[in-house]
Formats: sequence, C-alpha cells, structure tokens
Amino acid sequence: MKRIIYLLLAVAFAGGAIGYYLWNKPHVDMQSAKADLAIDAAALFNEYSADETAANAKYLDKMIAVSGKVKETTKAEDGTVKVSLNTGSDFGVLCELDPLSKHPRTEFTEGETVTFKGNCTGLNFDVQLTRCVEVK
Amino acid sequence: MQKRFLLFAALIAFSAPAFSQKFFTRDAKVKFFSDASMEKIEAVSKSGTAVLDAASGAMEWKVLIKGFLFEKALMQEHFNENYMESSKYPDATFKGSITNFSDVNLNKDGAYQAKVKGKMKIHGVEKDMEVSGTITVGDGALKISSEFTVKCTDFNIKIEAAKVANISNDIKITVDATLNPMKKGN
Repeated sequence: MKRIIYLLLAVAFAGGAIGYYLWNKPHVDMQSAKADLAIDAAALFNEYSADETAANAKYLDKMIAVSGKVKETTKAEDGTVKVSLNTGSDFGVLCELDPLSKHPRTEFTEGETVTFKGNCTGLNFDVQLTRCVEVK
Repeated sequence: MQKRFLLFAALIAFSAPAFSQKFFTRDAKVKFFSDASMEKIEAVSKSGTAVLDAASGAMEWKVLIKGFLFEKALMQEHFNENYMESSKYPDATFKGSITNFSDVNLNKDGAYQAKVKGKMKIHGVEKDMEVSGTITVGDGALKISSEFTVKCTDFNIKIEAAKVANISNDIKITVDATLNPMKKGN
C-alpha cells in the first residue's frame, strides 16, 4: 500500500515537473538555431508577389536565412530595429531584429550586403521576418 | 468646345493624384490582451501595416498572426496552432472608412475623435464592426490610436471548456500607429 502511494507521488511529481518545464519552455535561441533554408531577398519577394499562397506553404513559419542589400534601417522609440532588404521593388524583405537576442550591431549601411535569419511570418506589403539575427 | 472639354478632363485626370494623398505605415503596433480569471495573456506585433486615403477617409489595416510575440513560447505555439490556425489564416485585416469624416480635418494639426465602420477579418471570419479612435495630426503625419474588444466566439475561435478560466472570450486590442505620406502614387 505504502509502495503504491510512493509510486503515485513519484508519477505526480514527474508530471508536475514536465508540466512546469513545458510551461516555462523558453523561446528558440535564434543565435544558435539552424536556418531551414537560405534564399536571396529578391527571389523570396518575387515568389511572394507571384503567388502568396504557394509561397506561404513553402516559407511560412520556417526559419530562413535571407541575403540582400540594405535599403533602409529604422529604429523605433521603443528600440525595435527593422532592416529592409532591397528587392528592386517598392517593397522588400523586412527583418525585425529579435528583442530577446543580443545583437553585435544594430547599425547597417545602405547598400551593404547582409544576411539575416528569422521566422518568416508572411506577406504584408513586404515579406516580413521576425526575431531576426544577423548571420556572419 | 469639345477640345476645351478634353483639356478640362485631362487636367482633372492628372491632378487627381495630388488630392488622393495616402498615408502609410509598416510599423503599426498591435497589442492584444486576454484577462481571464486564472491568467492574463498579452502579445504584440510591431509590424502591422495601415493605409489611409486622406481624400475619402478609407483605411485598410493588416497584421500577420505569426508576427505576434508572447512572453511564453508555449502560449505562442498554442495561439498559432490551436486557436488562430495561423498557417491556414496567416493574417487579420480591417477595411473600413471614417464615418464622421466631416469632423476630422487631416490638413489641420490637432486631435480628432474618429468613428470607423468596416469589416474585420480574423481567423478567416469577416464581421462588420464599428471602432472608435483618435487621429492626431501633426508634423505632416497622422498618429492613430484605438482600443476595442473582439469576441472569440464572433470569429469562430473555439476555447475548450477546460481553458475558459485561462482565456477570455473578450480580447482587448490596442492599436498605435504613425502614418506618413506615401512617397509614391501607389
């Protein structure tokens, strides 16, 4: 009888520990995360412009490494940094830097070639990527 | 006579873009808040877009669902997979226009209370909604802020009985955006 109680307690404790772990599961560490695929900014934007649904099936929620030339960098009052990559169109690939990661730099020169990895969240004028970190 | 009419028509056609100035942002902050008895949940996206036509008071907003960041990774997962089904419905939109446009002077600095009527689309479900907010005109830009509530049940977002204490049916949404004149005529 005692043994059963101990066993039940152990199971309850393990369940609680797993639940607690899942509850507090941290966000993916973007610096060490591996990109699912790499693509050029213009190619990604063109695929989205041609067929949003097909591009979403391919890229939505994927961690992708996008390379391109910096068109513009903006810094909001709350510190949010966004880098727009040139695609030859009025709109581009908009990379929002990850608020949870440390960034070696948040200044980028117009025209320099950079690669960012981040989560593709879809098309909203620009193709948007969140939680971006620069890939060297 | 006909020539003069044609000239007049051409003048109208070419000058029209000057009157239909559009304002735009890709940095709209959209926040939502669920206040249930057991738990408070909030998430934010800082990459919403908005276009406002200064001539007509028509506006369009769009935010990508997967762009919402939560404090807890597990909540973000559940939000996307179980409730918003964001792979199937990747965005939320609002298309509408200002109903009291005569009270709002976008050419004069100041703060105006605006009422907006339109269609809200969340989770693939479209619903007529009326929302009010403040438009502050200044420095050539339009600052727009609004707070409103949407009901999960209105947008076919199902909350299991076991989660009723954790997730409210009434989701409070706040929007803050600064729209600047669009550079090109597009």
